[in-house]
Amino acid sequence: MKKILLLTLTLLVITLSVSACAGSGSRLSASGWAGLIASQDTAYLAAGPHIYAVNLNNGSLKWQYPSEPEKNVSFYAAPVLTDDGQLIVGSYNGFLYSLDPANGNLNWTYEEAEGRYVGSPLVTPEGIFAPSSDGKVYALSLEGVELWEPFQTEEPIWAQPSVTEACDCIYVASMDHHIYAINPKNGVQLWKTEGLGGPIVNAPSIADGTLYTSTFAKEIIAIDLDTQEVLWRFGTQGWAWASPVVDGEQLYASDISGNFYALDAKTGEQLWQVQPGGEIVSAPLVIDEKIYFGTSEGSFIIVDRDGVIQQNNSLEGKLYTSPVAAEDLVLVAPSEQEDLLIGYDPSGVRKWSFSLSEE
Amino acid sequence: MWDAFISLMINILLYIYDLVGNNFGLAIIIFTILVRLITYPLTASQMKSSKGMQELQKSKKWQDIQKKYKDDKETLSKKQMEIYKEMGINPLGSCLPTLIQFPIIIGLYQAVIRTLAVTPLQLIKLSKHISDGANLIPINNHFLWMDLSEPERLMIFGFGVPVLAIIVTVSSYFQTKMISTTNPSSGGDDQAAQMGKAMQYYMPLLMGYFAYQYASGLAVYFVASNLTSIIQYALQGRIDFKKLLPSKSDAK
Repeated sequence: MKKILLLTLTLLVITLSVSACAGSGSRLSASGWAGLIASQDTAYLAAGPHIYAVNLNNGSLKWQYPSEPEKNVSFYAAPVLTDDGQLIVGSYNGFLYSLDPANGNLNWTYEEAEGRYVGSPLVTPEGIFAPSSDGKVYALSLEGVELWEPFQTEEPIWAQPSVTEACDCIYVASMDHHIYAINPKNGVQLWKTEGLGGPIVNAPSIADGTLYTSTFAKEIIAIDLDTQEVLWRFGTQGWAWASPVVDGEQLYASDISGNFYALDAKTGEQLWQVQPGGEIVSAPLVIDEKIYFGTSEGSFIIVDRDGVIQQNNSLEGKLYTSPVAAEDLVLVAPSEQEDLLIGYDPSGVRKWSFSLSEE
Repeated sequence: MWDAFISLMINILLYIYDLVGNNFGLAIIIFTILVRLITYPLTASQMKSSKGMQELQKSKKWQDIQKKYKDDKETLSKKQMEIYKEMGINPLGSCLPTLIQFPIIIGLYQAVIRTLAVTPLQLIKLSKHISDGANLIPINNHFLWMDLSEPERLMIFGFGVPVLAIIVTVSSYFQTKMISTTNPSSGGDDQAAQMGKAMQYYMPLLMGYFAYQYASGLAVYFVASNLTSIIQYALQGRIDFKKLLPSKSDAK
């Protein structure tokens, strides 16, 4: 009897050992973290099986899509609003959805991508440009009709494409280590940068003719958009995951080792650095004299422009999602916590939270 | 400690991946064979110990005490221990090497799966293990007809056939059957023998299920590991091919 028990236990241990680590390799169990945007009185949160529309006045749920979880459907890319009143969001099953932001009703879907949507689409007057983990950028009209053959890169694209008024082009950062400029009218490549040494997983920032990007090669890189030459490189201690953010003459960047840097945007010289603990994978939010960012240890940090930490709010979960400004609130979306969304006032005082248990 | 061990394995795996021209399937196979070769002294010790046990159980002295004390388990156990000591055999000698190999094998496939990071959270976890080599990221997941990060199906006449899961099941069956034919505990009708027989069927089915359900990188590892193990036994001349096929006695 003891030996039969031993057999059962052995099989159980093997099952748990394999499934614990192997499960993550399956597409069905893939996961990221919530994507968040806000507009007027509503926050739109893409968090796992649903898109939630949350009332910014009190944190109550307005609607969720789909109403019941659907097999293989999960959302992690931040939704995007179009000027003509659509909420565009990509999912991990490779579908791009257009919803009515007022009530969550489905307008249309685009189902041709072969990969996941990890990054948000870019919406311009010319159309919707959706990056996919199959390495392609899909260009659609606002009605969801394909505009041109998808633009192909060598590796997955997780970064939302960027745009600038100075050029009739969109910038696509790929995990194949390159940044591409493409014509939004026909998808033709205008140029691509040299290999930048490592994958790029977040949207480049653009200011004054310079493109700033972060790479897994532990670098923040500034590139001249006219010549595509590298202006400067700043070495970080860990993989640089989050988008750098330009604010005047300062550039805020971070790395996965938990360092948050302020750099001189022109020279790349470090001005100051803080390391509050935990990985930093999301871009900071800058409002007036304050910079807000989160870490994987659940720290919601407010730091001033001189690098002095003003506040460190400790949350139960992990903060992988960039904080978002909304009316007179700063929104954070923790992972692995009952609260899916928390509204703070700009001084860091918690005003409300949204969790499913309240609904 | 465990994480450091996994990190070491991941970095070796990536080193091989780089050497073989960014072919992750080939890197898994080479790494599996290397680990099997490194742990071969343990396997050889296990086989030697099994052989000693087999010879011991065939001996007249052993069989005599089995008959004499068949109704007195306590004394039987004491006498068995005396014979072990006398013959210089460690009764745990055949299972201890297996136990030592177990964490290595678990570590190997954990390394395989963690390196195949395809989602942001998986990539963050992977970043903690990689000392250098971000230039190799993302890993090229394509090998033969497979996406190593997805469960494998080969499209044949419009049907997705889980070829690798079938190969894993069959090779796991031969491997467990092979071990059991060289393992003395499977020779009798006692509970240990029943357990051995049950393992011959449950383990291959379980492995086949994992290969069917999870990322095919894991299945490639299973196949490489099983085939290496079978070859090691074959080179030792310890395979009785006649006994590898299911027999009527197995069905009892």
